[in-house]
Amino acid sequence: MKIDDIMYSKMQSEIAALASSINEIVGKFKKLQHPLTESREKVPKATEQLDKISEQTAQATHQMLDTVEGITQREEQVKQRLNTLKEKITSGNLDGAEELIDSLIKTAEQTYEDVYTIMDTLQFQDITSQQINHAASLLEEVELRLHKIISVYNGQDSSMTEECTDSEKAKRVYDPHADFSDKKATQADIDNLFARKAES
Amino acid sequence: MARTILVVDDSPTVVKFVSFSLKNKGYQVVTASDGMEAIEKISSMKEDIELVITDLNMPNLDGYSLISTLRQSENHRQTPIIILTSEEGTDDRQRGMEVGASSYLVKPFKSSVLLEEVSKLLQ
Repeated sequence: MKIDDIMYSKMQSEIAALASSINEIVGKFKKLQHPLTESREKVPKATEQLDKISEQTAQATHQMLDTVEGITQREEQVKQRLNTLKEKITSGNLDGAEELIDSLIKTAEQTYEDVYTIMDTLQFQDITSQQINHAASLLEEVELRLHKIISVYNGQDSSMTEECTDSEKAKRVYDPHADFSDKKATQADIDNLFARKAES
Repeated sequence: MARTILVVDDSPTVVKFVSFSLKNKGYQVVTASDGMEAIEKISSMKEDIELVITDLNMPNLDGYSLISTLRQSENHRQTPIIILTSEEGTDDRQRGMEVGASSYLVKPFKSSVLLEEVSKLLQ
């Protein structure tokens, strides 16, 4: 064999090895593209959920504070009316006493309703807890993608990371659409659907 | 005698809130944190469950499976079941109706609306 032939053969095998390396690198980049795209989409979604939590927590808190303010203002009136009633009883002049008692009953009923309004508003805890779980789940997925990228770079098997994170994710149960906004229109549609079912 | 209602939800806040509203109106309340616990409680209880209020998204056994299981049982084929959920999509409502729910309330809800529905279904 000539020296040129030997050189040619060596170069050929080097070029083949180089081509194989390039293929491997391209393959790795292709593998990275999907997790990177997914991560890019998930982070804004998580941010959106966290913004929603902040907004709806504030909304619920203001609603409760307004109701509590109403109750405390009425309690001042209740005290005044009770004092007037006491004076009337002490003096023996009961003119207007019945009206005073009626107004006190109305105030008590209003306070009872307000307590239920506060109770209803406290549901924001359940709603925001679901929103937090959704945001956490999205961030966990981003974490998984980043682990995958590192695994691809290090030439490791990325399926192990996926299995591990999947088992963590299974613990989270939430509704991704949980929202504290008013659902009157939706509820009316649902009631119609169930009413039709009951009729048929 | 007080009528017994089973409340099933994985959110302790919702369970407490719904139980408070029902007990205040004189109902007896039994609670479970998922479908599996609900079935265990129903099977082991001596008194009859007259109405079930259930969430949909729950660990171990979800609300749909709980309703299907109850509807297969002779004792609970006719028991009124209210779904209480934040899932408001058309598919969820349709599925809820198909598995045999009697009513479907979307969270957040007003306790007065829930109490009205309970009273209507127990008539």
